[in-house]
Amino acid sequence: MLVVENLTKKFKDTVAVNHLSFAVEPGKIFGILGPNGAGKTTTLRTVLNIIKPTSGSISFDGKPITDEYYNIIGYLPEERGLYQRSKVIDILTYFASLKNLNKFDALSKADEWLEKLNISHYRNKKIIELSKGNQQKIQLIAAIIHNPLLLILDEPFTGFDPINQQEVKELILTFISEGKTIILSTHQMELAEKLCENILLINKGNEVKSGKLAEIKRKFGGNNVKLEFSGDKNSINQMPEVLGFDTYSNYSEIHLKDEVSPAKFLKQIIQKVEVNHFSVIEPTLNKIFIDLINENK
Amino acid sequence: MKKIWAIAKWEYLEKVKTKTFIVSIIITPLIIIAFSLLPTLLSDEEMPRIKTIGIIDTSGTYFNLLRAELEAYKIENTQPQYVLINLTEKNKTITEIKSGANDAVLKGKLEGYILLLFKNKDSLIAEYRSESIGNFKDIGRFERAVNSVRVQKRLQQEGINPDLASYIQSKVELKHIKVEDGAEGKQDFLITFFSSFIFILLLMMMVVYSGQMLVRSMLEERSNRLIEVLVSSSTPEELLAGKIIGLSSLGFTQIFIWFLIGLALAGSTLIPLGAFKNILPMLIYFVLGFLFYTSLFVGIGSIVTTEQEAQQITTYISLILLLPVVIAMPAIQNPDFILIKIFSYIPLTIPSVMLLRLNISPVSTYELIFTILIMLFSIIIMIKVSAKIFRIGILSYGIKPKFKDILTWINE
Repeated sequence: MLVVENLTKKFKDTVAVNHLSFAVEPGKIFGILGPNGAGKTTTLRTVLNIIKPTSGSISFDGKPITDEYYNIIGYLPEERGLYQRSKVIDILTYFASLKNLNKFDALSKADEWLEKLNISHYRNKKIIELSKGNQQKIQLIAAIIHNPLLLILDEPFTGFDPINQQEVKELILTFISEGKTIILSTHQMELAEKLCENILLINKGNEVKSGKLAEIKRKFGGNNVKLEFSGDKNSINQMPEVLGFDTYSNYSEIHLKDEVSPAKFLKQIIQKVEVNHFSVIEPTLNKIFIDLINENK
Repeated sequence: MKKIWAIAKWEYLEKVKTKTFIVSIIITPLIIIAFSLLPTLLSDEEMPRIKTIGIIDTSGTYFNLLRAELEAYKIENTQPQYVLINLTEKNKTITEIKSGANDAVLKGKLEGYILLLFKNKDSLIAEYRSESIGNFKDIGRFERAVNSVRVQKRLQQEGINPDLASYIQSKVELKHIKVEDGAEGKQDFLITFFSSFIFILLLMMMVVYSGQMLVRSMLEERSNRLIEVLVSSSTPEELLAGKIIGLSSLGFTQIFIWFLIGLALAGSTLIPLGAFKNILPMLIYFVLGFLFYTSLFVGIGSIVTTEQEAQQITTYISLILLLPVVIAMPAIQNPDFILIKIFSYIPLTIPSVMLLRLNISPVSTYELIFTILIMLFSIIIMIKVSAKIFRIGILSYGIKPKFKDILTWINE
């Protein structure tokens, strides 16, 4: 388990991260979410021991961070890039050697992963000859080749096509089933919603919300319905029962007052518009995110 | 330690395989050889051939003496190099003779002709006319011959005995020999002097080359964020040490290969090995200088944000190494000159100035030890400062830090 307590990082006069505390349990994916410039990368970098925190402590399995820690972390940075003129196999064995793998293990692990991700035919090619998606796969292998106990993934899905996204997702789930600790930082709320069990939502360096995703949804939940209809939009929007009204291309999401029951609401609107679809929904993480950040402003 | 080794190995192997490195290994010595050979090839090593030279001599008394002088030059000790033809004809005017001679030169019958015009007893106007001008070797010989004949004739007229005349005309060459402890120095001063220059040039080329490679590779790692993966796998100090070791090995590989090429050429006396008498202190300054500049470049590599900037800074820094070339002449004339002493104590200039001084005048053991200590001390400081700049600089992207920021990083 990774435990971060009271983490603060100041740069000159700005506070990038302000008294953050969280715990990442093994076997569960922990999502760090937040808008651009919220302090996600700074938080990840301090966890990675790349920069030293101004105050606060980080420990893994009860032990404070030492140089040994370097060999058990795997990191996939948000912006990707590899030595363009080097060979795939050389890069993979180099990164493995930086994680203290011996040459033999490094080679066999590299071949194993190239095989698993269906790119073993690129083994002796130079990075520059590979497509962007395949370069990213190489970087992903470089992050996991030493079988890390703590895996930190910054926007792991960007740049992958749906098929590759599926492969990466399965890979992450395998790691979870093996009891690894995973931190995922992303803007893609749908993915975070599907993968993360616990989340930490931050904005301007401060914690906005943290905890189990399911609980947050329940608490935040409120009273939402999904509606497809034809007719006058304003006639619904102006009803006293309605708190919020979001229109998407094919449907609308309506946030009702807590005391209003969806069934009663349906009876009322049937008289005003022609209803094609009506269902009670949980709020999406996307909506929670936007609402919380706006509230925070 | 294991990681330093892994990083050094990577930096070395990935760069030793690049085309630029292989090309530089071959091209640089080729350029040096070409530069040292070309002038000799062009002027000295002209294919020896017999040249027909015309003489127009209005006095009529110079021709035979000139022929005697110039026929002393032989091709491979057998055939004379110059065949002299007397073009003077009594019944023609100078203008007529000249136009005839010009024709012969243009048609290739004559290589050229020497025109000697006598106005009165002591005044002689001499010209050498030929199709191509600038053959300094021939012209030098002709000039010496004409002068020698002129003086010879006058001395004869004055009734001076021919032995005495030739004694008066002979010259003494002054040889310049360096005084050293022990055996008397036998080296030619110029060769000694240029051997320091070879070392300084080698140091500069190595510093420029490795410095640029280092800065460029760090720029690449920073721009594609690979640096984050690297510093989440090893400490910045390990990374820094690995890079310096890897790159230094690369530089020394280069020098070693050049040295082998040099040894091969030494047989043809292109590189005077005897000149490297102070080889041990020279090597020490060389290695220390290289380490100092490499650690300086690591700091720079953590700050620069564009390729152009990197290029500019590396060029400026390596120009400092060329300082001895500028101060060489005053240094030779007066090695105790105060400014040169000062440069011998500044870390940036110690290596190159000492490389120069070692060969032109004796350097006291005290000064030797003191400057080496300064170098060692500054290398340690430089590595510490660079490591601090490195630690923070490598993670700040895009914006070039101000000098004030860098100072706070160093103090942090």
